[in-house]
Amino acid sequence: MPDLVTQAKWDRLAPRFDTMASKGAEERWQPFKQGLFENMDGKILFLALGTGLDIPFFPTGKDITAIDISPKMVEQAQERLAAYDGKIEAHVMDVHELTFEPESFDQVFTSCTFCSVPNPIEGLKALHRVLKPGGKLFMFEHTGSRFYPFKPMMNLMTALTRKLGPDMNRTTVANVKAAGFKVTEVNNVFLDVVKTIKAVKPG
Amino acid sequence: MDHRLYYVVGDFLANLVLGVIVGAISWAIVGPGWNMIVAMFVMMAVGMLAGLFFFFPAAIKLGAMEAMVPLMFTGMVSGMVVGMAAAMMPLPLVNALLMGAASGVAGIAFIWIANSRLRGVTREAEES
Repeated sequence: MPDLVTQAKWDRLAPRFDTMASKGAEERWQPFKQGLFENMDGKILFLALGTGLDIPFFPTGKDITAIDISPKMVEQAQERLAAYDGKIEAHVMDVHELTFEPESFDQVFTSCTFCSVPNPIEGLKALHRVLKPGGKLFMFEHTGSRFYPFKPMMNLMTALTRKLGPDMNRTTVANVKAAGFKVTEVNNVFLDVVKTIKAVKPG
Repeated sequence: MDHRLYYVVGDFLANLVLGVIVGAISWAIVGPGWNMIVAMFVMMAVGMLAGLFFFFPAAIKLGAMEAMVPLMFTGMVSGMVVGMAAAMMPLPLVNALLMGAASGVAGIAFIWIANSRLRGVTREAEES
């Protein structure tokens, strides 16, 4: 049974998600996301699909399985899914309850996902389970900051934003390590708040 | 700072405008009867909240965290500076607006400097 509270939250946001995210965030993040997605190779798990805003940044001809907890988001993504020049199989699925076989993916990509997963370490452990040994995790995420004055600001923001959507103060790099991955690179895109994270499942 | 001119100008203007708005709000709320420390904390909170509200229209053009963090920071600084000044002395509106604008410029400049120090590949991967 998926997390119904989280599912309902993102279902509610789905109709106006593109207005909020596409013009500003997606355009600003495009070069960094494209740079990360250029690493796509082999059998790939992508989350969270959302309305498919990231699909135009994917390299063509890839074999991708994409999941999202919100059926409304996946519904909104249909046009972009159809336009992709490659194979994308989309599923409504909670990261805490992945139904894929263990060690079934070569790579996992996440895009602004672990700001919203209710139990991030458990979610990352689920990704660890479905990755092959030596498989790679690539993340584009926003996190909390380790530095003053941003750290208390992000904590304050989270009190407000958690009800509407994502948390702003996640410790995602530490969570990735806690889930059993070896982090190989952390690249800050904006302050230490927006970043790409590369990690590997020890083989 | 972001190297793309659109975002440099957009970030600068958004923070300048927010600084002026928070300057006006602080001028309207705080008077010489206020305790300076109380005025500082109250207006820092009000400024951050104003920054959060201003973020929603700004986000459509300027992005998510790259808009939210500077605007909340500028709101906080502008509220603090103008709020304290308005508590210390009778402050003409035009002075409050100018101080707000200066706070906006200082706010985004601080973010640009911090970003230039923090961005790029870090040593976080090696840390336990």
